[in-house]
Amino acid sequence: MKVKLYEGMEGVYVVELEDGSSRLATRNLVPSIKVYGEPLIRYEGVEFRVWDAYRSKLAAAFMKGLKTSPLREGLKVLYLGAASGTTCSHVSDIVGHKGRVYGVEFSPRVMREFLERVVKYRKNVMPILADARLPAEYAHMVEEVDIIYQDVAQPYQSKILVDNADFYLKRGGWAFLAIKARSIDVTKEPSEVYRRELEVLKNGGFEIVHVVHLEPYDVDHAMILTRRV
Amino acid sequence: MKGYVIVSFIGLLLCNDEGKIIDKALFPKETRVQADKLHLLSRGEVIDEVKELCEKARSLGIDQLVLENPLIAKAFAGYGFHNVKVEAPNDIAKIMRSQLLEIAVRLGYALNEDEAVRMLHEVTYNLSARKIVEAVEKRDLLVAQAVSCLDEIEKVLNILASRLREWYGVHFPELGNLVKDHEDFIKALLVIGHRDNIKKREVLEKLSLIRDKVHKLIESPGTSLGADVLPKDVEIIKEVASITLNLYDLNSKLRRYVDEVMGEVAPNVKELIGPVLGARLISLAGGLERLAKLPASTIQLLGAEKALFRALRTGTKPPKHGIIFQYPEVHKSPKWQRGKIARALAGKIAIAARVDYFTGEYVADELKEDLEKRIKEIKEVYKEPPKKVVERRPKKAKKR
Ligand SMILES: C[S@@+](CC[C@H](N)C(=O)[O-])C[C@H]1O[C@@H](n2cnc3c(N)ncnc32)[C@H](O)[C@@H]1O
Repeated sequence: MKVKLYEGMEGVYVVELEDGSSRLATRNLVPSIKVYGEPLIRYEGVEFRVWDAYRSKLAAAFMKGLKTSPLREGLKVLYLGAASGTTCSHVSDIVGHKGRVYGVEFSPRVMREFLERVVKYRKNVMPILADARLPAEYAHMVEEVDIIYQDVAQPYQSKILVDNADFYLKRGGWAFLAIKARSIDVTKEPSEVYRRELEVLKNGGFEIVHVVHLEPYDVDHAMILTRRV
Repeated sequence: MKGYVIVSFIGLLLCNDEGKIIDKALFPKETRVQADKLHLLSRGEVIDEVKELCEKARSLGIDQLVLENPLIAKAFAGYGFHNVKVEAPNDIAKIMRSQLLEIAVRLGYALNEDEAVRMLHEVTYNLSARKIVEAVEKRDLLVAQAVSCLDEIEKVLNILASRLREWYGVHFPELGNLVKDHEDFIKALLVIGHRDNIKKREVLEKLSLIRDKVHKLIESPGTSLGADVLPKDVEIIKEVASITLNLYDLNSKLRRYVDEVMGEVAPNVKELIGPVLGARLISLAGGLERLAKLPASTIQLLGAEKALFRALRTGTKPPKHGIIFQYPEVHKSPKWQRGKIARALAGKIAIAARVDYFTGEYVADELKEDLEKRIKEIKEVYKEPPKKVVERRPKKAKKR
């Protein structure tokens, strides 16, 4: 077994297993604590958490060849749709002790799991129980951020992103947007819905940097990497 | 002069339109208190710091306050600051957000940035935990109780309505035959009272729903087949009728309530199979969490436990569906398709309940679409009833 840095991505690692297959991983910010049952691996005195591309759209995006990633140590991230924290915890690993993740989630039940599995152990994660469609309602808890990560599975996703960017994203900041792939079939004409979403992004000052489809990891979604100019 | 109010975990800051902090009302430095204050504020309540900042702003000659959060703005207006505006987002607040933690340190609220982060972490944790408790704790059990109550009221309504038909029928049997719907029957009974009243104009007017029918009745020759009764006989019947009518009202109120709370608690289940049936399933399972953890095959049979145990005991055929029989596509379909449709439906319900419980996403539209497709398939493939021959297969030798 070997662990290497994923080329060009800070904080993202590739674990090469004996059988020749490889998995993604991040360096565990809180050693010995698992978040969703993922395997922990020790390599040269450092503990890594395997990052399951079937459970996390961001990992899937990397596996499917997302070429660049703005995620770095020390950055601040606004995470919309934190759910119980699967992906959020890996983002927390990447930004490390000097960075911060603001995790917005609106289902109280899900938020409870998020608190118990992730926030309790990770001091760089700030939980926000709120509706991402109403960014003004959490303005008293969030600072300016470098990146917005959005996976809320809601209609009008792009609008939600733009509205949040207006409040919280710094100039030149980046955003990840997980979006329904049903509406983005590159082999065919993109659907009206997708076209409209892109339109909203562009009008909101975003340029599309990269789009990757997530199948087979997630048959329903694509990841858009976009940047506010 | 305009003043900008910045709300943050350290308290309230007052800035001028160049983004300079000109005054402040900071919270006591204790996580719980901070969380408390923010919690109250975000519900629009006037806390001490709001008063303090208002006074300070006034003494600085500020006559307009600008905020981002409408509810918090309300708190300021609530304290009597007349000119409060919401500008969201605004540039001054954005400048403050870009140096939120430095400010906490600069104002001496935190020793250093690490401490500020720790504080923010604790405050946000506290705030979320508090809201969770407040939010949907056990609302699924409330809705389960409400739907059981609904079922009981419906049973009582049926019993009472039938009783009233018989009872009033002693006097005026023709009305019962005329009005089939229970609720309409009771309304008519209350308007009419003694059967002779149907000849009165004002009574007829109130019977607009069934006026034509009553006309025919009046015009038809011969007298009623019912017995004549005393006023006190009619009075007591009317008393029962009017309470029964109240129960009908309560019934529809309960329905609206179940509909509403199901939307909060289990929106996907509600959308897929309707609020009442959805709530009945939650009730039978003993809560949304339990429903979310049941396999589809169990959900298919929820409510058919008696039949299932009987089948197990006697070796007869097991039931194909429990309460989901009430879903129209199940009971309206031919017998031989029902089991298959029930199974497909139960599968979708299982997914809907899990999503409602675990993620809160909205996936009902897709589930419905998939289900419709599957039902259509079943209807095509199993269009014909199975041939009788199949059932006359020679029985296998007795098994022990
Ligand atoms: C697909 S899940 C996110 C999974 C997560 N990103 C991960 O990979 O671990 C979507 C989450 O967004 C939440 N959500 C949906 N709409 C939201 C909204 N308007 N505001 C906040 N959260 C929302 C849902 O409750 C759900 O937990």
